[in-house]
Amino acid sequence: MAFINHESREIQLKIVYYGPALCGKTTNLETVHKMIRRDHKGDLTSLDTAKDRTLFFDFMPLVADVIEGFTTRFQMYTVPGQVMYNTTRRIVLQGVDGVVFVADSQWSEMSANVESLKNLGDNLQAQKITPDDIPYVLQYNKRDIPGVAPVHYLEFLLNNQGTRRPSFTSVATDGSGVFDTLNMIAKLVLHKFVKEARGDGDKDEKADEILIR
Amino acid sequence: MTYELTQREVNKLRRILLQLLDNSEADSCVLCDQAGHVLAHENVRKGMDPMLISALGAGVFAATRELARLLGEDEFSSVLHQGLKRSILIGAANEEVLLVVLFSGNEKVGLVKLYTPSAAVAVRSVFEAVVTSEQEAEEESIDRNFVIKVNGDIFGGQP
Repeated sequence: MAFINHESREIQLKIVYYGPALCGKTTNLETVHKMIRRDHKGDLTSLDTAKDRTLFFDFMPLVADVIEGFTTRFQMYTVPGQVMYNTTRRIVLQGVDGVVFVADSQWSEMSANVESLKNLGDNLQAQKITPDDIPYVLQYNKRDIPGVAPVHYLEFLLNNQGTRRPSFTSVATDGSGVFDTLNMIAKLVLHKFVKEARGDGDKDEKADEILIR
Repeated sequence: MTYELTQREVNKLRRILLQLLDNSEADSCVLCDQAGHVLAHENVRKGMDPMLISALGAGVFAATRELARLLGEDEFSSVLHQGLKRSILIGAANEEVLLVVLFSGNEKVGLVKLYTPSAAVAVRSVFEAVVTSEQEAEEESIDRNFVIKVNGDIFGGQP
């Protein structure tokens, strides 16, 4: 749920990286934090276990000058991927404006991807958010591992909902695909925010299509 | 869904926060929502990011709400984390809005606990007033014709 503060001329938007355990959600944020300009970022805070597994969430604020007359702050979160932490995932999803689903491209992780995607849909619906209505980008990670599932299979398996979503391949550890994903979700979230604030409804569907291309 | 605060509402909230700091002798406070957005803040010292306080405070309070639910309680109205030098109290103003109060010295716990609920009530009344017709009329005069001024990438990476 976006927030506009007219006193400080600030807009706040929330983006959550979702996906199965060990798919690379935290690595995405770490890479962004490492590579992004200093004046665009705040500290990366990780609430994790001794073994570097996300326990609650990772959080990083990003700031951008993209809307005239306002400072736009993106709050970037990850969720813990392990199945047992579903309550935590629901908490982190509260008030979300956009989702990046990070899938693990390895064949052995396909059922975990599908389960996590279904879990995302369930948790969004628990907040009365229809998955089709929220800006949402898929990222097929770990493309550097030999013998991973081909992209067309991942598309068939994970990008098969009513609206086909933008998707990117990535190697989060070296940064490839990470900023493509980030920029796309940021643009989609911004566009939806502007459209809703203007009360444009569905009038800008064509603009959406242009953005997604 | 989007929600917003006008300059007048933010000023009202800031006055409530300042009054709370004055009464309770707390150091600083942050008003946030359950998504972790910062709605207002007062006296947060340099180097301490109000957005991080909001993100963590909202997370802590959401986890506390789940614990309450497990125990069959409707809600725990506040959470106190007490340290040797600094402490923090998080209280709910309503279902969405949280008041995070930071203070030094254990002798102030009583004052903070005493004055935070009344500040929470005052905050709640500001949010309730947002839905009155007078406010709606005022809000209609706000320009929501936001213009995106970036055509290309919003964020760039530097290896």
